[in-house]
Amino acid sequence: MKNVNFNFGKKLSRRAALRNAGFAMGLPILDAMVPAFANTESLPKAKRFIGVSLSLGLHGPSLVPETAGIGYKPSPYLKSLQDLRDDFTVVSGTSHPGVAGGHTAEGSIFSACPNKNGGSSTNTISLDQLMSKHLGHETRFPSMVLNTGSSSSPSYTENGAMIPAAEDPVKIFNKLFKDDSAKEQDRQAELISSGRSIMDIVGGEAKALQRELGYGDRDKLEDWFTSVRELEQRLEARKSWVRTPKPKVKAEVPNKVDRDNTISIEHAMLEIVRLAFQTDSTRFITLHVPGNAKVNGIEGVDEGYHSLSHHGRDEEKLEQLSIVEQAVINEWAGFLRDLKAAPGEQGTLLDETMVLLTSNLGNASSHDNRNMPVLFGGGGFQHGRHLAFDQKNNYPLPNLYLNALHQLGLESEYFATSTGLMEGMV
Amino acid sequence: MSWFKRGNEGGNFKDEDTFSLGHNSLEKLSVADFQRIRPIRVSHTKERIGSSRKGAKESSPFRLKLRSIQIVIDYSLTTNNSRYFAAPRRLERLHCVLLGAVTLASASLLLSAEPSDVRAKLETFLSDNCYECHDDLTDEGDLNLLDLEFDIEDPGNFETWRAVHDAVSHGDMPPEDETQPKGEAKNAFLSSIQKPLIQADREARQLFGRVQTRRLTRREYEHTLHDLLGIDIPLQPMLPEDPTLHGFETVAEAQHISHFNLSAYLTAADTALEEAFRRTEKENKVYSRTFTAEELGSEKNRGSGNYRGPDFQNGRSITWPMGLQFYGRMPRTDVPESGWYRVTLKNVQSVNPINGVVWGTLRSGFCSSNAPMMFPVGIVEATPQKRDIVFEAWIEEDHNLEIKPNDSSYKRPGSGATGGNVSYKGRDLKKDGFQGIAVTGIKMERIYPNANRDQIIQNVFAAVDWKGRKDGKPNRQVLAPAIKRFANRAFRRPVSQEQIDPWIDLAAKEMEKPGTGISDGLHAAYRGILCSPRFLTFVETPGKLDDHALAARLSYMVWNSMPDRALRLLADQGKLTSDPNALHKQLDRLLDHPKSERFIASLTDQWLTLNQIDFTTPDRRRFTTFDPIVQDAMMQETRTFLKHLILDDQPVSKLILADHSYLTERLARFYGMKNINLTPGNGLQRVKLPDTHTGGLVSQGAIMKVTADGTTTSPVVRGIWIGERILGIHIPPPPPGVSAVEPDIRGAVSIRDQLAKHSNDESCSACHRKIDPAGFAFENFDPVGLWRTGYGADNKGAKVDPSGVTPDGKAFEGINQWKQHYASRPDMLAKAFGENLLTYSTGAPPRFSDKWDIQQIANRTKDENYGMRSIVHAVVATEAFRNK
Repeated sequence: MKNVNFNFGKKLSRRAALRNAGFAMGLPILDAMVPAFANTESLPKAKRFIGVSLSLGLHGPSLVPETAGIGYKPSPYLKSLQDLRDDFTVVSGTSHPGVAGGHTAEGSIFSACPNKNGGSSTNTISLDQLMSKHLGHETRFPSMVLNTGSSSSPSYTENGAMIPAAEDPVKIFNKLFKDDSAKEQDRQAELISSGRSIMDIVGGEAKALQRELGYGDRDKLEDWFTSVRELEQRLEARKSWVRTPKPKVKAEVPNKVDRDNTISIEHAMLEIVRLAFQTDSTRFITLHVPGNAKVNGIEGVDEGYHSLSHHGRDEEKLEQLSIVEQAVINEWAGFLRDLKAAPGEQGTLLDETMVLLTSNLGNASSHDNRNMPVLFGGGGFQHGRHLAFDQKNNYPLPNLYLNALHQLGLESEYFATSTGLMEGMV
Repeated sequence: MSWFKRGNEGGNFKDEDTFSLGHNSLEKLSVADFQRIRPIRVSHTKERIGSSRKGAKESSPFRLKLRSIQIVIDYSLTTNNSRYFAAPRRLERLHCVLLGAVTLASASLLLSAEPSDVRAKLETFLSDNCYECHDDLTDEGDLNLLDLEFDIEDPGNFETWRAVHDAVSHGDMPPEDETQPKGEAKNAFLSSIQKPLIQADREARQLFGRVQTRRLTRREYEHTLHDLLGIDIPLQPMLPEDPTLHGFETVAEAQHISHFNLSAYLTAADTALEEAFRRTEKENKVYSRTFTAEELGSEKNRGSGNYRGPDFQNGRSITWPMGLQFYGRMPRTDVPESGWYRVTLKNVQSVNPINGVVWGTLRSGFCSSNAPMMFPVGIVEATPQKRDIVFEAWIEEDHNLEIKPNDSSYKRPGSGATGGNVSYKGRDLKKDGFQGIAVTGIKMERIYPNANRDQIIQNVFAAVDWKGRKDGKPNRQVLAPAIKRFANRAFRRPVSQEQIDPWIDLAAKEMEKPGTGISDGLHAAYRGILCSPRFLTFVETPGKLDDHALAARLSYMVWNSMPDRALRLLADQGKLTSDPNALHKQLDRLLDHPKSERFIASLTDQWLTLNQIDFTTPDRRRFTTFDPIVQDAMMQETRTFLKHLILDDQPVSKLILADHSYLTERLARFYGMKNINLTPGNGLQRVKLPDTHTGGLVSQGAIMKVTADGTTTSPVVRGIWIGERILGIHIPPPPPGVSAVEPDIRGAVSIRDQLAKHSNDESCSACHRKIDPAGFAFENFDPVGLWRTGYGADNKGAKVDPSGVTPDGKAFEGINQWKQHYASRPDMLAKAFGENLLTYSTGAPPRFSDKWDIQQIANRTKDENYGMRSIVHAVVATEAFRNK
């Protein structure tokens, strides 16, 4: 840029210090967290989880293999993944019980929270955040919430607030790997300490208001207390990281990403995720590909992604849609390959990392939330199968989420509406 | 959901009575435990759980009569993760669970009517009309009325009886083909249910209010900080999006707060304050540059990378309708700092105009593929007559301007070069007949549209001698008045010394640090004040709203911001509650002020869902004439139309049927309207419409666009939209396990035939006969709002059948008759608009006992021909608006 002869002094960006879209701040292990798992002695089989979610589903006939079990015949979308055949499982005929409402079901992708067919305004904690809550304190960022094109996310806190996603690969990269200047570190430490004093007073005000406003507002103000307390804890935990140098990686800042092409953003994001996992910067991540994602510059595609998903069985639209969807899947598969090539503590990084791909929509053209697409890789499970459940009478997908929790050593009895561990998933 | 159950059945509470969690039953709570949990007090001798509210006016605690010992627990209210794991071990952790539980339960525990009496009165009617389908054997729709007690203390039970009441009252039940109850029996039945329901609802409303504390939305937050501080920087992007419920972002029930929100509020407050303090330090920066056509459009001046700039001819810079991304960008125009700019296009002139105009877009952006987002600055309407056009817009640092003709009907010239370049060498695009927009230069000036430096100094330093702001000595006497004044404004009501002491302490502590001054102290305190729930939420106590709460409701309704000085003064004087006309006079004043544009923007964005206009992009091959100019004009059409309906008190029936609209040349041409008298260069103009089916807000292009998905239309989607937004017909969500019809756009089958199969199912038809008719009537409008007679490519597929029967039994052949029918039901439209306004302005949808209020809205505006401004007044006059 040109210099236009005046000095602006401090720039707005210095406030980025506390801006933490997409990044949970460090959280110490708390008394409140322990009891649920205190009795479990089993050694975790996996350490990490990433859930990739799509707003617009995957076209069922192209994704779901015709035959089930170990020897399943690959569907059109899975042909290019055959080198990874033993590293992932295809699950069909599953969905979240009590979740409907088309696009509005997006909030339940990882929380599986029943939503009164879209009429509900409440949500509960998502799988990634639950994992992070119990195990996230060991890394600089307890979790990361990413999106390829907007700030919406399927990651929710316990009291049902959506966690805004980070969407700029450059900012995410810098946040993870670029050390702040000494001055910036001072400033962050300063903001953390003043933030804590403020929260102290704000907590008191919420308490006073609770007395003034009476019972009708009690639960709203309870949410304030909880939020104040949790922010205080996170600020506290974050303090110790401010002056800890960030890990160095051999990678370029991703500043050449074509932001009009969701595939290239997905690629850049998954590359950052791999680095984040390898450097143990965080262990729990969601990456959402939103409904307004742009697909410009993809060969053979000249319509919007969302419009294509409303294909209305038009062949030309379906063909274009399959180009986009195949590319999304291929990026996911490429990520699996990268993890497989990277060493873990024992075995490969993939062995320790659960990698999920799913969507709230089983059929985007009719906004149907049943028969969610599910590909699940890594994490020390025995893969190589097509677990085919009933397409008409769906099997609960939260059961798979329960498997994922157990794999991390979080042996809870259920997650959301789960009825047990997923049949056939070992 | 789970239940607390009392250990021993029957009898009074005793200290040793225990409660336990229904599942994962690890906890047992005794009454004594309840008592230990402040501030719940169990008073077993009176058979009551009561609570003393500190600060409540009455001296005796209000009491909740616990008839059954069931306390509903909604786990979404809990802070521990007990939903998924074993229940919390220690009582302390149950604290919040219980508080939440009692909140919910208490709302329904206030009744005095004897349930058994009510239930007995209903028996004959139920047995005559309902049990055939809804008993223990055939509990159709999961409703077993035979065993349903009348126990409306329980919120679920209340809801069920309310649904029963509404179904019978609306004539949905018994089904059409069954014997219908006699009017007398029906009325008696309805009134037997209605009375206790209303009583229960009113009592709960009186004690707790119909709305919970609601939070400022993003848009309200930004406007408020702009008004409070005088700054003008965007703040909305720093906060998470607001969820929408019942059609509005303002609805408290959907607003959840987490540490992420608080963290974002800290950051946003800091950003806003830093800007405010920065502007108090120095005079506003001046930036003014004028670029000649040669500087803008000469290839000699190309920046690095591909040249995609304008053509340069005879002292004019010209752009043509080229499709290349970022074509028309002018790298020289990049701005040195994010801010508001006034952009003046000099001597704008059309080349080869159509109907006397060439339409283009002016946008700002980084204009490169790793940052491709372009931000609209304005629409350029170039005419043969030269003129300067002025725009004001927020432009981000390093963004530059891009102008190009952007009307999809223009023929596109080739780029004249390879590799993403543009070249004009050896071509004469004017002579070749292409449309172009020419300018002789661009002037760019930095502006500060909201307030000047003195005003900001006044807002920030108030009573403090701001010149002494670098004085490092902490001094409470100096800080206190400024902080008090700021909090007083920010909290929208008088503050007590006790309330601001902690903030003064915070400021004083900040000033103990070396090198700090009053600015730093105030900054620290203000930052905290802006994170306080007294600022971020609406403080409304149960019962009648006080002056300050009323002022805030009114101001946020119309201006989306804090009360201004005049309104605040009236509140301070107690005039709003004491003078019955005061609120209405203020409403008129607020509506007549330019800031009421925000009211129109909020209503069109939320009520009419125009903020969804970009959710889908119309299929380019199918809807070839749609383009950004058309979309912009559509939005303007609907906004302007609604603005005049409200400000000019036009009849509400014009939502349905009108003989005029507001069109630009482009939009009229898009709609295919001939013989419309429009003056080139005058933008949006009021016009008389040639035919009736296009008149009225509901069938305007923007509405047709947001109720379609870019490829197809669905009578169900449009039917629900029109029902809920315009007609006041509420449709419950579909039962689980029903998927929508999968659209088939190949054109052989009409959506109507596809739907028929679905809707003929008896269990579906009860709702679909209410939903679909309105949708059918609009099927002649395609996904971008154009008139069509058939489906598929070029409308050559199955024929559109727009006929139907309205839920109230009126057969119609198509849109015209449908419109005639509803335009003659203005009372219905007035009530529907009133309901929506109440939801928007109070933060909660009308409840069962608000029906009277809603009826009043229609009654009061009848003499005004149901004018929409009158309806806004009638809403402000309701009990619902004037009470929490």
